[in-house]
Amino acid sequence: MAVKMTRRRFLQSTGCAAAVLPFANLVQADDSFVKYPYVSPGSMAGTQTVTGGICEMCFWRCQVIGKVRDGKLVKLEGNPKSIDNGKSLCARGNAGIKLLYDPDRLKYPLKNIGKRGAPKWKRISWDEALDECATRLKATIDKYGPQGITIFPHGSSAVYPMHFFEHVVGTPNNSEASFFQCRGARDLAYLATLGVPAGEEVDMPNAKVIFLLGSHLGENVHVSHLKRYLKGLENGAKLIVVDPRFSAAAAKADVWVKIKPGTDTAFLLAIMNYLAENEKYNVEYVDDNGDGFDDFCEGIAHASLSWAAKICDVPEAQIKQVADMLSADMPHVAIHPGRHTSWYGNDFQRERAMACLTGMLGAIGSVGGFVRPIGPKLGRFSWPTPMKEHAEEYSLRRLAKVHKFSPPGTPTDLIRNAALTGQPYPIKAMVTWGQNPIQTVPNQAQTIAMLEQMDFVLVCDVMPTDITMYADILLPEVSYLERYDYIKRGTQWDFAEEHQQYIAARMPLVAPETKDHERKDSVWITNELAKRMGYGEHIKAKSAEEMVDIMLAGAKPTLSLKQLRAEDGIHLQEGEDPYDVELDVVFYSEALEEAGYPPVPTYTEVPQPPAGYARLVYGRLPVHTFNRTQNNVWLHQESTLNPVWLNEQSAKKMGLKDGDMVELVNDQGVKSRTATVVKVTPGIRSDTVYMAHGYGSMNPALTVGVGAGVDDQSLISNPSIDPETGTHGMRNNFVRFIKDGKELSIPA
Amino acid sequence: MAMEKPVGNACTRLAEILCFLAAAMEYPQRSWLTPAYWAALEGLLHEIGSISAEAMFPSYPASPEQFEGLQVEYTRLFINAVPHVIAPPYGSVYLDGDGMLYGASAERAKAFYRQENFELRGSHDIPDYLGNELRFVALLLEQGREAAAELFLRQCFRPWFGSFYQRVSRESRHPYYVVLVSLIDFFTEEEEDHGS
Repeated sequence: MAVKMTRRRFLQSTGCAAAVLPFANLVQADDSFVKYPYVSPGSMAGTQTVTGGICEMCFWRCQVIGKVRDGKLVKLEGNPKSIDNGKSLCARGNAGIKLLYDPDRLKYPLKNIGKRGAPKWKRISWDEALDECATRLKATIDKYGPQGITIFPHGSSAVYPMHFFEHVVGTPNNSEASFFQCRGARDLAYLATLGVPAGEEVDMPNAKVIFLLGSHLGENVHVSHLKRYLKGLENGAKLIVVDPRFSAAAAKADVWVKIKPGTDTAFLLAIMNYLAENEKYNVEYVDDNGDGFDDFCEGIAHASLSWAAKICDVPEAQIKQVADMLSADMPHVAIHPGRHTSWYGNDFQRERAMACLTGMLGAIGSVGGFVRPIGPKLGRFSWPTPMKEHAEEYSLRRLAKVHKFSPPGTPTDLIRNAALTGQPYPIKAMVTWGQNPIQTVPNQAQTIAMLEQMDFVLVCDVMPTDITMYADILLPEVSYLERYDYIKRGTQWDFAEEHQQYIAARMPLVAPETKDHERKDSVWITNELAKRMGYGEHIKAKSAEEMVDIMLAGAKPTLSLKQLRAEDGIHLQEGEDPYDVELDVVFYSEALEEAGYPPVPTYTEVPQPPAGYARLVYGRLPVHTFNRTQNNVWLHQESTLNPVWLNEQSAKKMGLKDGDMVELVNDQGVKSRTATVVKVTPGIRSDTVYMAHGYGSMNPALTVGVGAGVDDQSLISNPSIDPETGTHGMRNNFVRFIKDGKELSIPA
Repeated sequence: MAMEKPVGNACTRLAEILCFLAAAMEYPQRSWLTPAYWAALEGLLHEIGSISAEAMFPSYPASPEQFEGLQVEYTRLFINAVPHVIAPPYGSVYLDGDGMLYGASAERAKAFYRQENFELRGSHDIPDYLGNELRFVALLLEQGREAAAELFLRQCFRPWFGSFYQRVSRESRHPYYVVLVSLIDFFTEEEEDHGS
């Protein structure tokens, strides 16, 4: 700015108007600062250890403590009192500080006065934001009924609003990513076979054999989960890994089965058929607990070793070797049910085969087997269910008579299709809470079309993820380090150790209140919405603290937040022996048969890549939890791109070398928005390429993560749907590379 | 009358102006961003003699649309935007390598506050937030501690404010904020460096 005078001259100029302008009268008194007694520099006085934290950089929920100095969180550590993760935290857990102090975080309620996808934000007050949300959601209910609203929740803070919309408002259209794009098929298959959901609680530390099918532990990092796995290996367990890729787990394996993707069920059937034919299964357990075993054996009798060898593209002898290894050490065999299991759209059958194999080996309740830990009891907290019947009446699954073994909620595609077609009824308002459907749900074009046809879109999140660009109203939520939240409970990580139980409620490590933002927790936000929508009478907890206290009061003996604080964030009590619990095994399921599904685990062939294309599979990196962590500077620094793994022979034929930058295009012509680096390796089949998920965000508001690496989800435009559960299968997409503008075929 | 105030009057006046400018950098609300406030800013510009800034200074956003335009621009510049928030008003975003809040620059500001026997009331407030730093300088000036104020500006404020100022000047779509950061620049600049 061109000026005529200096500051000093200006201030000293006695006649200047500024000298007589009442500046002070125009400014409200400010009390930002208070007097502070002098403390000599370098003093460590005031560094506090704050207990009661529960991590949420992934969803394993390790117990943490914070070192807080002068109001600033300077370090996160595992809670030394924890009998779960103990003092250990993974890289992501450590990097939570960088989420807390990320300048890209959402700070105030915002209103989009531009377009969805190309937002123009205006900061508004909470009252204005909540009034508008309530008015527009009510308008949707009045015009289309409660079923005209859909909610896409994820994470613990989304549970409270999810139940509000489901139970009180009365919409069945709840699409939880953790079910429909992750583990829904697994849990329902185990439920249908063993009567309990799978979880990941296999007794790996005490197993003689650990069997991993697609689970890449070590790249997929959950602290106590890994402790179990590593202790098992340390104790001498043999490790079998079935994976088309030489994963971190395959690198430790005694047997690596380099299976053709999508054929796992055939592999499992052949093992079970071999065990049955040769009476190498646990006859006693099956006789005592098996249901329909003879019919089951008849149903899988076609699955010879040679049949499977051909389908799976693995040597017949290797299948036999695996079967014999499992049999030799039964029942001390840990067959890991997997975690993310929405692969090919035939996933329920594969997971049922896993459960049946576990049953055939009698590896249930046995040392080293499938063991259900007995956790502590807690009080229940839930919204009342005045609209339960309405929600059931309008269930899209029920109306279409499909997906009869669906996890709770409604399969994503049923919701999306209804929204796009208006049939059987319109869905015109969308609430997204902690989920980024752009990067979790396949076929982004359809998801965006669904968003565009909504009358109203509400998004609540911590970070400006892709979905926030499509919000009409965007609400800022406090992070997991700043709020009270649901309770983590469990047992000691090694079931063979002294039986103990723990209860740990999430408590804030730092205060959420500062002058430069107005973030709120989900209980407060939901309650305020509920009041404005006319559902205030159903509110059972006025705050997150009260909600947690209600649950703790139901513990035996009764607990409270106050007591948990006094106990350094974790209450420990005597546990129960989880072993020797037998479960019935439904080998032949009449329930499935009556519902029109195969009663015996069945292999269904999956689509194969066209010539010149390879199958795109994806997974995790230890430093990332999908898109949740992609804007974290520490974690980004550890792995800035997600290399695409390519077989070395294929690379040679394609003229590519390690480190080349490529874009990808799928067989439907969908191109990646960005490029990534090629990792040339012998450790992957030539018909398959692999990359880590959770990269290449399209939202430039994520200043670190935007455009870094390739968003694999953008290439998953052709999902399959699992018939029993309605969950997505996301590995039936085929890609080739683009280098310097030229498309390169991938030789099989 | 101002002209009759004793020595130190310049300090008091600068303190008032810095508080005034710190408040002007808050989210625009009708409750405080009144025509009188606007006129005071305009008067300030006139007295400084900034012809170019005066020329670009817009008239008071009287209509709801105009006022909303100012709010939208504030949000885009300082809170959240696509492609991304333009200029987060925190020192460590500009000074410390990883661009995070509460970096080393914040620690330096906090240490300075304490050295001068002050502390932020909100125990988790971020020390190198623009408004906090300006108000702190004003506090020192009110007490006549001009040297300490100058030192704080030199050591803590100016090292990042330049980058912030450039970003806002370059990217702002509303002249109001260009003028505001220019005024802050004028009133916090080291005298020796002051040129035209």
